[in-house]
Amino acid sequence: MIELFDVTRRFGDETAVDAISLRVESGELCALVGTSGCGKSTTLRMINRLIEHSEGEIHIDGQPIRRFKEDALRRRIGYVIQSTGLFPHWTVARNIGLVPRLLKWSAERIESRVEELMALLGLPRETFADKYPHQLSGGQAQRVGVARALAADPDILLMDEPFGALDPITREALQDELREVQARLHKTIVFVTHDMDEALRLADKLVVMDAGRIVQQGTPLELLHEPATPFVESMLGGDDRGLKEASLVRVGERMLPLGPRLIATARVHRDATLRQALAVMFREHADRLTVIDDEDMPVGELSLRRLVGNTRHE
Amino acid sequence: MEEALRHNRVLPALMLASLAAWLGGDLVSVAANRIVPGEGVATLDAIGWGGILAGTLAMLTVAVLGFRPSPVKYRTALIVTVAILMSLPAVLALAAARLADADMPQARLGIGPGFWIVLFMSLLTMIELRTRVGVSRFNGWALMLPVLLSWWLCLSWWLAPLALLQEFRGRSDQFVSAVLYHLALVGAAVGTSLVLGVALALAMRRFPTLQRAGFGVLNFLQTIPSLALFGLLLAPLAWLSANVEWLSAIGVRGIGWAPALIALVGYSLLPMVRNTFVALSEVDPGVIESARGMGMSRRQVFLQVRLPLALPVVIEGVRITTVQAIGLAAVAALIGAGGLGGFIFQGLGQAAMDLVLLGALPILGMALMADALLGAVSERLRPGGVK
Repeated sequence: MIELFDVTRRFGDETAVDAISLRVESGELCALVGTSGCGKSTTLRMINRLIEHSEGEIHIDGQPIRRFKEDALRRRIGYVIQSTGLFPHWTVARNIGLVPRLLKWSAERIESRVEELMALLGLPRETFADKYPHQLSGGQAQRVGVARALAADPDILLMDEPFGALDPITREALQDELREVQARLHKTIVFVTHDMDEALRLADKLVVMDAGRIVQQGTPLELLHEPATPFVESMLGGDDRGLKEASLVRVGERMLPLGPRLIATARVHRDATLRQALAVMFREHADRLTVIDDEDMPVGELSLRRLVGNTRHE
Repeated sequence: MEEALRHNRVLPALMLASLAAWLGGDLVSVAANRIVPGEGVATLDAIGWGGILAGTLAMLTVAVLGFRPSPVKYRTALIVTVAILMSLPAVLALAAARLADADMPQARLGIGPGFWIVLFMSLLTMIELRTRVGVSRFNGWALMLPVLLSWWLCLSWWLAPLALLQEFRGRSDQFVSAVLYHLALVGAAVGTSLVLGVALALAMRRFPTLQRAGFGVLNFLQTIPSLALFGLLLAPLAWLSANVEWLSAIGVRGIGWAPALIALVGYSLLPMVRNTFVALSEVDPGVIESARGMGMSRRQVFLQVRLPLALPVVIEGVRITTVQAIGLAAVAALIGAGGLGGFIFQGLGQAAMDLVLLGALPILGMALMADALLGAVSERLRPGGVK
């Protein structure tokens, strides 16, 4: 659990972060979203003391972070940055084993841990262990970056626009992987991004920042339903925010179960998002879809009416 | 553009220049004794029709291989070029044998401009071909091995009348000690400036105010002509030597090795400090940030990340400094510091060009070797091995 109490950071006369309070529960992924220079990266880096806070207190599991030695604190916290920061003169395996080595784990323990992490992030050991960072693609390098951050099994992971430099397809693949990893490991993650779609996809809790302050925080759906200010609304895409909401809800949650009364030819999977369902309707010129499961068996029906959440006349 | 891609114009250009010198220039010169100027001898008179034809054929082959080149052609050309370089000392030996005159046992064989041009063009051709074939630095030196071997063999067995060799014979002890002295002077200068330079670069990184002043002074030092600097050091060092006992005890005088070493260190500092400073400053900030963020201490970041990543560029600084110091140390002979420069100035004084060469050629060789060796070290240290 990470708690910030009235935390302020000043650089000279500039106030980069202005008295923010925030609580990230254990196992929660909290996304800090905002435009460049809003203080989100500064906030993140105050948590591992790469930047010291000027005022207020930051607690980890109830303990003020200034009570720990800087280096000891950082070794307990995973850190992933956009440029990966992999050491170019070290192999992939050595890069991943960095923090365990700093913690003086035994060689065998480090080796088996590195192996485990490479498997977790889909980097076959035989292919990648002895490669150097410059031999990796952007996506592979960032996977190594994430593996390195997870190496000493920290409870907390800080990620500063980790996927910002990747192409859209690789970025989505890595977002999915992060979701899977998180579903398994339940880390407490603070994730900085300027990409609202990324934040909506990943976050349990969304924090919108502007000019060093928190403008609104809540679950993605809460923010989509009731943006507190025009700024939050514009961050959420203005009129497009309906579609953003549609991409957070699964077809299975809105469909009419039981067999279809009318067999619609157009089909959509139960786990697809409403946004995808809408796209299918649009493409097929259909206002009704048959919902199918993994075995391609019909399990329900989704009408346009239901899709948009109007269930009065059914 | 396409034409340029299809043909290599460098090879014919170099080889035709070489051929012109081979056919039209004086290959060697013969002098009756050390004092009289030598008389030029054209290639035909020196080695006869067979030799001249073989050389012409080899050079034309390399030139022609430059048209519509392919990897195989480049490789063939490289082999022919190495063969040319290997046979050049044999050419001299053949000329020496043919031109030997029983009536003139004092006669000396000088190397003529034609020979120098052929040698120089062939070396350039080899460098061009080495990059084309993509030979690594290490293998490039392996290629030089047969060439050096052939030169060494001919020099030690068949080239006795060569004036250069005769100058060497008269001073072989002096020559060896001059080479060693030269190396010691350069080694001491580079070693001292490495220690000082790294310390200065670190201090500049710690205290940014020092940067401007430091680079200002070093830049200024670099602009003083070397002779003037030696002269400027003369008086203060003489005074120190006269007044400080332990300094004079270790041999510090107004002339000799002390001013030479100080001047060499002065000139070496700028490239050393600049390279070290830039190398340390230009390590990717993302790498440093993540190293800190992972919980490495400042010391660990410096020793395990910043320094190893900066090292290739620091070694580049050592390379530049060493090559520069090898050349500058020759000038130090003027203030009695000795070394190979001694032969050069002695030779200039006696108008004995072969004595000048005896000093200049080893300096050239040392500079080339230092350059190649340190270049290879720097390349080896690049992150991720060979890149």
